[in-house]
Amino acid sequence: MPKSVLVVEDEPNIILSLEFLIKEAGYQVRIARDGEEALKAVADDPPDVILLDVMIPKRDGYDVCQTIRANPAWKGVRIIMLTARGRAAEREKGLALGADDYVTKPFSTRELTQRLKQILN
Amino acid sequence: MTPRVLISLTFAALIVAVVAVAGWLASSAGGAGVSAEAARQTALLYGSGATLALVAALAAAWAFLDRRLAMPLKMLARDIETAAHANPDHAITPAETGHLAELTAAAAAMMRELADARRRAADTVVEASRDAEREKGQLEAILRDLNEGVIVCNLNHEVLLYNRRALELLHVTGELGLGRSLFSVMNRQPFLHAVEILTDRIGREPAAEKGGSRMPDVTQPFMATTADGRTTFEGRMRLIPDADDKAAGYVITFDDNSRRLAALGHRDRLLSQATEGLRQRVASLAAAAETLEAFPSMATGKRQAFEKVVFDETRHLSERLDALTAEYRELVTGSWPTTDIYSANLLNGVVRRLRDDKGIPVVMTGLPCWLHGDSYTLVELLHHLVQRAREETGAREFDIEASPGDGRVYLDIAWKGAAIPAGQLDGWLGATLAGAFGALTARDVLEHHKTELWSQTHGEGFARLRLPLPAATEAAAEDGRRRPPSRPEFYDFDLLRNQRHPGALGRRSLKSLSYVVFDTETTGLKPSGGDEIVALAGVRAINGRILTGESFSHLVHPGRAIPERSRRIHGITDEMVAGKPSILDVLPAFRKFVGDSVLVAHNAAFDLKFLRLKEAASGVVFDNPVLDTLLLSAYLHDHQALHTLEAIAKRFGVDVGARHTALGDSLVTAAIFLRMIEVLEARGISTLDQALAAGDSMAEIRARQRQF
Repeated sequence: MPKSVLVVEDEPNIILSLEFLIKEAGYQVRIARDGEEALKAVADDPPDVILLDVMIPKRDGYDVCQTIRANPAWKGVRIIMLTARGRAAEREKGLALGADDYVTKPFSTRELTQRLKQILN
Repeated sequence: MTPRVLISLTFAALIVAVVAVAGWLASSAGGAGVSAEAARQTALLYGSGATLALVAALAAAWAFLDRRLAMPLKMLARDIETAAHANPDHAITPAETGHLAELTAAAAAMMRELADARRRAADTVVEASRDAEREKGQLEAILRDLNEGVIVCNLNHEVLLYNRRALELLHVTGELGLGRSLFSVMNRQPFLHAVEILTDRIGREPAAEKGGSRMPDVTQPFMATTADGRTTFEGRMRLIPDADDKAAGYVITFDDNSRRLAALGHRDRLLSQATEGLRQRVASLAAAAETLEAFPSMATGKRQAFEKVVFDETRHLSERLDALTAEYRELVTGSWPTTDIYSANLLNGVVRRLRDDKGIPVVMTGLPCWLHGDSYTLVELLHHLVQRAREETGAREFDIEASPGDGRVYLDIAWKGAAIPAGQLDGWLGATLAGAFGALTARDVLEHHKTELWSQTHGEGFARLRLPLPAATEAAAEDGRRRPPSRPEFYDFDLLRNQRHPGALGRRSLKSLSYVVFDTETTGLKPSGGDEIVALAGVRAINGRILTGESFSHLVHPGRAIPERSRRIHGITDEMVAGKPSILDVLPAFRKFVGDSVLVAHNAAFDLKFLRLKEAASGVVFDNPVLDTLLLSAYLHDHQALHTLEAIAKRFGVDVGARHTALGDSLVTAAIFLRMIEVLEARGISTLDQALAAGDSMAEIRARQRQF
C-alpha cells in the first residue's frame, strides 16, 4: 500500500505543485486548507507524513504540530514544517514542538521530494 | 578679674593694712608717766613718718606695675583681639621697655603669620572659584555644542543640569527648571528601570574585575517618550559616583531617533529594491510563462529556451529574495537599542518586580551568562509571561534561568504542571505590555529580538516557556582572554577523611540534599604559612538547580598585603579590600548562610584548611559534610589526568568565565556538581554516604600517589 501524505496549505498555487509532485513520486495525497481541517484529516486516517505550513488559518502550524505530538496514537506521523519566514528561532521552535524537519519557502521542489523520500524510508 | 584690677586691689589692700597697723601701734604704745609721754610722742612721730614712707613706696610700686605690666598686657590683649577678629593687618603696639618686649614681639610675629595664612586661604578660594567658573564655562560650552540632549539628575530624579539641546528635543519652551522632577517632562518607567539595572550591576559587579572602582564603566540604553507621549527618544544613562563610589545621580544623553531615521532610509532602499528591482525579473518570468501557455504547439527547441527563462528567473528571484530577507532581518533588530546584558541582572529585575508587585515567588536558577537585547522590554515581557502562566496553569512557583547554547542564550521559565498549547500562547502575545511605553505588545518584543517563544514539557511533570535570545558580543570577546592558571591540587586530604559522620543525612539521596557550593580567593597557596582569605563566596544548590539569587559573596581584609602574584590570579588589590571586614567578622555570617547544608568545593581541602585554621579565633566551626568536585571527578574519570575546574567544566560542557572570582567559581563548581550527581547516580553512587566514600577512596589513592 502506498505511503500517504497530508498537505496542509492555504495557498492554491503551491498546493497545485505539491499535489502534482507528491503523486508523481508515488504517494497518496490529501489536502487540508486550515489547522482544524488538518487535525480532522489526521483523526480520520493518520498519514505517514504531513507537509505542514506554519501560516494557515484557524490554528497555526505550531499549534497543529504540538496537538498531534500530544496524542501518543499519532507518534508515527512524521511532520515536515513549511514556512515563508526562515529565522533560526522559528526553525528551533518547530523542532522543539515536535516537527521532524523544517523547510523554508521558496524551496527547490527536487530537494523537497528528496526529503520526503528520506523521511518515508 | 583682669590682671590690672587684681594688681590695683592688691595694692589698695596693702596700703589700708599698713595704715591700720600703724594706727593700732600708735594707740597701744607707751604706759604712764611724763617720760613715757615723751617717748610716745617720739614713737608716734617716727611711726607716722615710717607709715607715710611705706604707703608712698607701695603707691609708687602700684603705679609702676600698673603702667609697665597691667596696662601693656591689656593693650596687647586688645591688639590681639582686634587682629584676630577685625583687622588681620592691625599692628601690635610694641612694649616701651624690655619687660614685655619679647611677649609683644612673639605676639606680633604670630599675628603676621595669621594674616599671611588668611591671605593665602583667601587667594586659594579666589583661585578655586575662578577654576570652577572656568570649568563650568567649558562644560557649558561643550554641552551647548552637543548634538545630544544632556540632563543630569540626582537619585530623586530632580534635574541638576541640562543643555539647550535637551530643551529643544523635549519641546520645552523657556526653562526646564532646576530641581524640578525629570518626570514632569519624560515618562517615568524607563528611567526607574535604567537606574535599577545600573545600581544592581554595581552591587553585583565582582569588584575584582574593575580595578579600584566598583562603579562599572557602563551605560544603560533606554527608550523614553515625553510625558505627553508625543515624541520618542533613544538615550543612554550613566551613573555618577560620589566620593564613596556610591551612585549620587545620573547623566542621561538622548537624541532624536536619528538611528531610527537612518534605519528608515535603509528600509526605503530595501523596499525599492524589493519592488522596482524585482519588477524586471518578474516581467521576464511572466512573459515566458504566458508565451508558453499561448503557444502550446511551440517547437521543442524553442520551448526549451522559454522553459530555461522560467527556470533561471525563478532561481534569480529566490536568491534575491533570500538576500533581501537577510538584510531586512538585520534592520529589524538594528533599529532597536540593544546591549549586552548579564542574565542575573535582567532576571533579578523580573524576580523583584514579580515579588514586590504581585507577590509571585520566582527563583532565579542556573549559571548566569551574558546575552544581547533590550533589558527593559525583556523584563516587561518576562513579567507578563510569568503572570499569564500563573493564571493559565495555576502553578504557584516559578524558576527562571538563562542558559547558553548554540550561539544563543535561552531564557526559560519553568513550573510544575502542563505546557501551554501553542495556540493559547499565541493569544498572549497580542497583549499590550503594562509598563511599556506606547502600545508595545509581547509580539513586538519578540520581533525586536527576532525570536520566537514556545512552551514544552520539560522533565517529569514540569513544563517551561523557552525564549531564545542572541548571545552577547562582549562576553564572546571576553572568552578569548586567557584565564589565569588554577591553583595546584592541595594535599591535606586528612581534612576530608576525618569528617564527622553525617548520620541519617548520609542515607539521603544526593538529589534530595541542600548544598552550599563555595570558593575562596587567597593571598597565596600556603594556608599554614601566613596566607589569608581575600574573598569568600558561596551559592545554594537544591533539587538539581542552582539558586543563583541565594548567594553569599564578600571581599575580606586579609590583614596583610596581597602579593602581586595572587593579584594577577584574582585581580583583588589592597585598595579593594581596604575597609572590608576581617575573616573573623565574615565567617559567622557565612556559617549562618551554610546552616545544615552539605558543603561542596573544588579542591575542597584547600578552602577548608583556611576555614579550619580560623576555628579557634572565630569560634565558628564547619563540621558539615564536605564533597570535593576534584575528588569526585577523579572517581568518575580516573583515566583523565587533569581535574582542574577548567578541565572538568569543559568535560561537562559548563562555561567558565575569564577570571577567577570566588562567586564565579562557586557558580561554575555548582553547575559541574549538579551534572556530576547525574553521572554518579548512573555509576550507582546515589546517597551522600556513597559519595563521601567515593571521595575518600580517591583521597587515599592520591595521597599515596603523592608519596612517590
